[in-house]
Amino acid sequence: MNFISLLEVELKKIRRSGIFIILFAAAVFMWIPAIFHGDVNFKTQADIGIAPEYNFLIQGFMGLAWFMFPACMVVCTVLICQTERGNHGMLKMLSLPIKTGKLCLAKFAVLLALGACFLFFAAVVYFISAGIVSKTQSYDFMLSPIFVLKETGLIFLTSIPMVAFFWLLSVCIRTPIFAMGVGFASIVPSVLMINTKFWFVYPMAYPFFAVTNEYAKLAESMTPKRIDDVLWGSIALFVTLICVFVSCFCFGQGERR
Amino acid sequence: MSGFLELEKIKRTGFWPAVFGGGILAALVPVINTAVREEVFLQQDGSALEILMNENWQMMAMLNLFFLVASACLLYHTEYADNAIQRMCTLPQKENKMFLNKFVLMCGFCLIALAIEGAGLIFSAVRWFPADEKILWNGVLNMGYAFVLLLPGTLFMLLISAACKNMWISLGIGVICVFTATMLPADHFILSLFPFAMPFQIFAGTVPAVLKNYWIAVGAECAIGCFAAVIFFKVRRLFS
Repeated sequence: MNFISLLEVELKKIRRSGIFIILFAAAVFMWIPAIFHGDVNFKTQADIGIAPEYNFLIQGFMGLAWFMFPACMVVCTVLICQTERGNHGMLKMLSLPIKTGKLCLAKFAVLLALGACFLFFAAVVYFISAGIVSKTQSYDFMLSPIFVLKETGLIFLTSIPMVAFFWLLSVCIRTPIFAMGVGFASIVPSVLMINTKFWFVYPMAYPFFAVTNEYAKLAESMTPKRIDDVLWGSIALFVTLICVFVSCFCFGQGERR
Repeated sequence: MSGFLELEKIKRTGFWPAVFGGGILAALVPVINTAVREEVFLQQDGSALEILMNENWQMMAMLNLFFLVASACLLYHTEYADNAIQRMCTLPQKENKMFLNKFVLMCGFCLIALAIEGAGLIFSAVRWFPADEKILWNGVLNMGYAFVLLLPGTLFMLLISAACKNMWISLGIGVICVFTATMLPADHFILSLFPFAMPFQIFAGTVPAVLKNYWIAVGAECAIGCFAAVIFFKVRRLFS
């Protein structure tokens, strides 16, 4: 079986899982507080000198990058693992002439696709909520789709090492409560990590750091941090490759014993 | 008797290490925070616990909530995996009873986690702040209050995980609820009554009148939660 058809099979498995409803609900709930607090954006303009429309987008995306996106990714790993482990589906997959590493990679690709899908929902709901706030505050909050796309793409790219780490957790830790618990617990300190010098050793802080830095670029009274792109990129790549490699190696080991 | 059955069920789910691990992790938050930012903390006005709670409780409460969400999902996942719940339903026992047993179990686990967290708070208060004789009693009061405010969240999260057969759905709903709670302004009384937002409240430095309001709110929400659970299980039994 080639990779594409494996991917198709994996996508079919999650079709009736209801995860898309959860992801969409998450995207909607993320923007609701921002709609109600539309007037705050004008206050921050006076405080730190950022245009209200940019503040509206980036503040929402901060919540997304810090909490909602990582937490939803943990939920997605639970989904992918549980659909396979429930009713011993994994045993059936292992009996097929498929390389387990390839299967694991296909699942990881599905996880990334779910992440991209969530970010797409978040962007769509952003446009709707920006439209609503434009009406309620009588000020044009709409930004160009290219800018929004750029920011969403940034979150997606910087979150790949984090997603790889969550995937590693869910593959290697077979008790679901630990895989979930470690994943959730690792989200919480990212708020502290982005303020330290060593933020780049902590993959869970990458998306939040990137968005905060974008915010600093747009605000007049804030100075963005200087980023050593080569160092960051190489560490991120290293983390991703190690996580994917180890998870491919460990995948299905428990069932094959 | 059936209460002990619930305790037996969680034997190999990794619950015990999770509660101790979670508790210790949350207890480390104030210890590390105080060790790193000692001067900032000591300069502030107020009692030691008040400062510590103001600076750390946000994060600790969030860890508590995550623990709550994950463990509530898992408690019912053990029932739904491999259709164990159907066997439970054939026993001469009401589903309400099982729900209540699980709730009591969760309360016990929350108490353990909060006790560890309280120990962490008291340790950092004793180690870095000027001596205070009533620190132990104050710590107990603070954690007791935190425990009471966790109750409605526990109840509703268990109800959500009882309602959804798939673990990821209940987990997803829990995550959305926790996120919404972090977005709600803490000083708005009505909004802070959201069951998942209540654990972010702090006992130290709150006036008795406000405390009384929270007591009433907790009582009312627990009553609503229990009532909803009873109705839900009755209706589901009818249609399944």
